[in-house]
Amino acid sequence: MLALHELQRRFAAAVLDSDGSGFEHHIRAAGLSGARRLQVYRNNTRLGLTGALEAVYPVVSKLVGEGFFRYAAAEYIARHPSRLGDLHEYGGFFPAFLRAFEPAAELVYLPDVARLEWSYHQVFHAARHAPLDPRALASVPAERQGALRFQLHPAARLLESPFPILRIWQGNQEDASETSPIDLSEGGIKLLVFRRETLDIEFQPLRDGEFNLLRAFAEGCDFTGACERAMAAQPDFDLPAHFGSHVARGVVTAFELPNDHFST
Amino acid sequence: MSAKPATSRLGPSSIPVRAGIGLRAEHYDAILETRPPVGWLEVHSENYFGAGGKPLDYLERIRVHYPLSLHGVGLSIGSTDPLDKPHLAKLKHLIERFEPALVSEHLSWGSVGGRYLNDLLPLPYTREALYHLVARVSQVQDLLGRQILIENISSYLQYEESSIPEWDFLAELVERAGCGVLLDVNNIYVSARNHGFDPGAYLRGIPRHAVQEIHLAGFTVNRFEDGEILIDTHNRPVHPAVWTLYRQAVQRFGPIPTLIEWDSDLPELAVLVGEAQQADAILEERHARAA
Repeated sequence: MLALHELQRRFAAAVLDSDGSGFEHHIRAAGLSGARRLQVYRNNTRLGLTGALEAVYPVVSKLVGEGFFRYAAAEYIARHPSRLGDLHEYGGFFPAFLRAFEPAAELVYLPDVARLEWSYHQVFHAARHAPLDPRALASVPAERQGALRFQLHPAARLLESPFPILRIWQGNQEDASETSPIDLSEGGIKLLVFRRETLDIEFQPLRDGEFNLLRAFAEGCDFTGACERAMAAQPDFDLPAHFGSHVARGVVTAFELPNDHFST
Repeated sequence: MSAKPATSRLGPSSIPVRAGIGLRAEHYDAILETRPPVGWLEVHSENYFGAGGKPLDYLERIRVHYPLSLHGVGLSIGSTDPLDKPHLAKLKHLIERFEPALVSEHLSWGSVGGRYLNDLLPLPYTREALYHLVARVSQVQDLLGRQILIENISSYLQYEESSIPEWDFLAELVERAGCGVLLDVNNIYVSARNHGFDPGAYLRGIPRHAVQEIHLAGFTVNRFEDGEILIDTHNRPVHPAVWTLYRQAVQRFGPIPTLIEWDSDLPELAVLVGEAQQADAILEERHARAA
């Protein structure tokens, strides 16, 4: 007779670690064997977690094919078990896992495509946020504006890759019209993934100045420091125009002055 | 004199004694555009645990037109791990925001030692497990500040440890914890076939007053050389034998709000609505007889 906790522990070991070690003896033999009955739960668990990964990473799945994806998913599930009852949280380590996953090493761009898909997933479920109030910004004294720390919308993510991951992503959508092969040597991309007020998600390729400005904000840099980083990355960067446009679109949503909160 | 208003600021607040359908993302637009004549909708709670975005936006717009039930699939209420408080906090927030008429969880566990199998796993039906469940259901009801319904699952194995029939376990849980029952008639049928018990005995074992909701769904038969097993796949119409068992359930428990569940290989919305109309017809027969 196993107590409840011990029974659950050994059930999980038998299903997740395939460590049966006599657990069949705790299953009532009636028609089908205990081993067969346990296999149903192995299948259900594997299908459930693999399905959760497939829902977040459909392009990775398409790139490697269904069979290979299931194999990779099984390895991932063994190394990164689910830690929550809400499956939407599962799969965040998949890009890093793929980077170290030897059988997929030839597809050098795969981990970055996975990062794009995880960003999309996060942006899809992110909180709403009101746009920045221009009057609040105008009320900051000019001499203190350099100390402002701007924040990005919860539904904004920045991505950088040495591969054309946006073209790869777009070319592998179900409704993709483009079938021409993608040339990896066409180079990398700096990208903003952003969910608009309409809740539609858009991808915006950014030049160096814009990307570095927004990344500096995301990293908590003050306005002066962020501007310096943007201008260093792209000397011809039109800072006022680009900054204004990201405020207007709601990508930059809030700011604070150290010791003095002007906005949330 | 203070009759409960039929609608709140969100929309209808109580579940009518009619058939409803599970709301899935693929049907969001069709529901809003066609407003099918189903009595109510049910969603998986965890699908709305995100901080924002389209799922919550759609649910808000759809909720205005239909009463709602929240059905949890991830709480792992029967686990010996501590209850997941952040999970419950998200559920509570969802309840406050959408004012569901019913909130349900499963008679199952899904995690141990911090690892989740994200599946509805059977419990051993022992006194120890019963007292554990009574404590856990009570704790959840206290934290949520409301009664919850507990649903019987489909199972594919029985433990040697079990000493109580599942229906007696569920009946005593209801008695001791003060929860209600979400009776899944398809799950009774599936488990009865898998384990060789009489589904009628299950129905007779559940107290008449306890059942507040019924689930119906389709199953799949997996055949092996040494036998077959029925899997609760929610990917096809309700089986004729399950409709028969449903009539018996309605006979015993009276007309009860009934949900058509369909989760994979999702058909057009009209197919779900058609299934709901079949359930409605059976509920109406019973109404007519009672009148």
